[in-house]
Amino acid sequence: MKTETSLQPLSQVSRTKRSLWRTMIEQRYLFLMSLPFVALVFVFNYLPLWGWTMAFQSFKPGLDFSEQDWVGMKNFIAIFQEPQFYLVLRNTLAMSFMALIAGYTVPVLFAILLNEIRFAFFKRSIQTISYLPHFVSWVVAAGIITKILSVDGVVNELLMWLNITDKPIQFMAKGEWFWVIVTLSDLWKEMGWNSIIFLAAIAGIDPELYEAATVDGASRFRRIWHITLPGIRSTMMVMLILSIGWLTSIGFEKQYLLGNSLVLDYSEVLDLYVLNYGIGMGRFSFGTALGIVNSMVAITLLLLSNWIFKRITKESVI
Amino acid sequence: MKSVKKWFALPLAALLIFLSACSDGNNGNSAGTVNNKEEAEGEPADTLSPITITMFSSQPNTQWEDMESPVGKKIKELTGVTLKPDYPVGDPMQKLSLMAASGEYPDLIFANNNVNTIINAGGLIDLTPLIEEHGPNIKKLYGDYLNRLRWSKDDPSIYFLGTYGVNEEQWEPRDGFMLQHEVVKELGYPEMKTVKDFENAIRAYMEKHPTIDGQPTLGLSLLADDWRIAQSVTNPAVFSTGGSDDGEWYIDDETKDPVIHYTRPEEKEYFKWLNHMFNTGLIDPDSFVQKYDQYKAKIASGRVLGLIDSEWQFREPEQALLQAGKPERTYGMYPIVLNENFKNRNFQSPGYSGGTGVGISTSAKDPVRIIKFLDWLCSEEAQILNNWGIEGEHYTVENGKRVISPEEMQKRITDPQYGKKTGIETYLYPFPEYGVGVKDSTGQTYKIDSKEQIIGKYTDIEKEVLKNYGATMWMDLYPKVDEFPVKPWGAAWQINIPQESEGAITMQKLNEVVRKRIPEMIMAKPEAFDGLWDSFQAELNAIGVPELEEQFQELLNERIEMFSE
Repeated sequence: MKTETSLQPLSQVSRTKRSLWRTMIEQRYLFLMSLPFVALVFVFNYLPLWGWTMAFQSFKPGLDFSEQDWVGMKNFIAIFQEPQFYLVLRNTLAMSFMALIAGYTVPVLFAILLNEIRFAFFKRSIQTISYLPHFVSWVVAAGIITKILSVDGVVNELLMWLNITDKPIQFMAKGEWFWVIVTLSDLWKEMGWNSIIFLAAIAGIDPELYEAATVDGASRFRRIWHITLPGIRSTMMVMLILSIGWLTSIGFEKQYLLGNSLVLDYSEVLDLYVLNYGIGMGRFSFGTALGIVNSMVAITLLLLSNWIFKRITKESVI
Repeated sequence: MKSVKKWFALPLAALLIFLSACSDGNNGNSAGTVNNKEEAEGEPADTLSPITITMFSSQPNTQWEDMESPVGKKIKELTGVTLKPDYPVGDPMQKLSLMAASGEYPDLIFANNNVNTIINAGGLIDLTPLIEEHGPNIKKLYGDYLNRLRWSKDDPSIYFLGTYGVNEEQWEPRDGFMLQHEVVKELGYPEMKTVKDFENAIRAYMEKHPTIDGQPTLGLSLLADDWRIAQSVTNPAVFSTGGSDDGEWYIDDETKDPVIHYTRPEEKEYFKWLNHMFNTGLIDPDSFVQKYDQYKAKIASGRVLGLIDSEWQFREPEQALLQAGKPERTYGMYPIVLNENFKNRNFQSPGYSGGTGVGISTSAKDPVRIIKFLDWLCSEEAQILNNWGIEGEHYTVENGKRVISPEEMQKRITDPQYGKKTGIETYLYPFPEYGVGVKDSTGQTYKIDSKEQIIGKYTDIEKEVLKNYGATMWMDLYPKVDEFPVKPWGAAWQINIPQESEGAITMQKLNEVVRKRIPEMIMAKPEAFDGLWDSFQAELNAIGVPELEEQFQELLNERIEMFSE
């Protein structure tokens, strides 16, 4: 079918429209098959956008749409006048950037190092062990981490035994350390899992390239630098853009479960703020407005990073 | 040709399904009409037809047994009702808000102190006419207090049946400062009046016994996990400075002016004392980072000498201690105050104020049937079943008196899973119930608690400790109920601040500020305390506490007026 359409002379402009219809008719089964998925995306991703109208109302549950009170930008003004919003935004961005940097570079390094191991059994066991924590729920993980870092926990005992400190350190009570603890916990949990895709990409590199390089006398580091890294470059780019898109939607499980009242200034993130001050208090309109702001920040970041990449690498992912 | 047939088959099948669904619906309807007829003719037949009542309860019931226990089965048999409760994971307010937004509710809702969300959304029906028609037992249970269940002056509907025992006599302190029996015994029963006495006892014992069962001794462990910070850290500041439980409020008896209690200079002294305790190593350094589970586990290990908490918070680990055969590591409750000028008001009576309870939602299909079930729960039969269990199984009747055998009583006290296994007391809270001390038609109390029973539950060492303090019950150590006036506003924490008002936001911010600043203040170096306290006060002003107090004054006046009608 496809060849048929492409064989038609392109110069006949008047027939292009007809040919589009013809293409569609010829490919009707393909269109039919994709219809459920288009419908799915529409229903679950676009239809809910209608709910954004709530942000411009003083929404009261149980009333009809026509009966709602319209308040214009009042909710947005309230958000930007709230000092706590900036604090929460700072925490969200800080923790997500830290997670981005650590959660992106370490798995790449890990994958490369793992790839250099010759002993297959050892390599495979390490890989399995490293991605096991991914399947541990945050509730359990947070419990373990809190216990390890408590005053009579393993870390403190180790530090005291090594005479690095003479008094146990209250890790979980120090606000400034909270970001680091969250980032490291996240790293521990997701490093192995995130490296799988890079390992797969490395496995796809033609071994002849390595052989040729060895013959030419390239050392191990040279081979990594000139073959492995360029080989997985496109995968790295896609992964990076994807993770930037997720920047503001880091969720709140980690922060909620690891946090406590002492570190609230550092642990409260946007999602938690929406819950506590929006839905949690029945302020649906305020919550919706916050959600919109959140989306705007995410889109801005994504476009910005894509623009930077375009300038540096001359290629664009979106 | 074949494919044409196929295309026909699909809509046909859909049509068939549709038709059968319709006929199902019809069946349902006709069953409904039959039901209604029966109802009109005679009640007993109707009460037995099986019905499933769904329910959302804001407070998880750890003893819920899916109606599989003896008492649960009995209730099913007597009423035909299968109760299907749903409990929240985390903050119940989120679930309630979603319900309100969607307008789809379970049949029964226990929204606790967030009930205004549901009422504002029009989710609960007015029970007044239903109680009038089908609720003789409900009327009997609440008596004159039925009026106190009205929502507000402007909207005198009854939306829910108040929880907590009605006409309750308080025989046991609810909150206090706790010390292990072993501690006071070893120190020769020192006087226990002020925080200094409390501190000295902990220090003296800790110096003598730096470890318990091989683990380091912890002086005083506090709990600041989420909302529980109120029970263990912030409420006691009020209690030890002459206030009674009004949540975040302190209301003067005379002037009836409500203030957010953290603004009181007396409390500065209390928190300063906690700061001193922390800096001298008497407070468990993990206090403000530990979660509730860790706290309970610590108490159950028997190495925490003192607690400042509500009794229901550490009931579970205390039972674990009894099961482990360490009664000397359980706690006595002392009415500790900041200094001799204050009196502990734990026994001051708020009267009955309901405030929160179970209501019937607008989604309920058969409110009459449901109110009959609630009415049955208020009946003498149900109240005795839920408090005492099944005759012959959990208690016996001797000379017309209900008696629980010592073995059964032992199980009841020590087994943390007792409610789950038997269903006893599982169907009381948050449903209506008679208070402790109220008597049934035979002159016996509905509750198993009697002063003798409470004393009977005491362990030997507990009795010994009490004897040495010249008391027979813990309440004897506390100032008596008749020393204070009955609070004309009930309990202030039950007064709802309208959700859409600025005050509600201030209240939320207040919660957060308190949860951040109070632990920070206690853990600070002593010389930094005053500065932190001042900045805390400034922060309270900045988030609008003065305006909140003004708003609350009005709500309080309205409440006092409504209650005194």
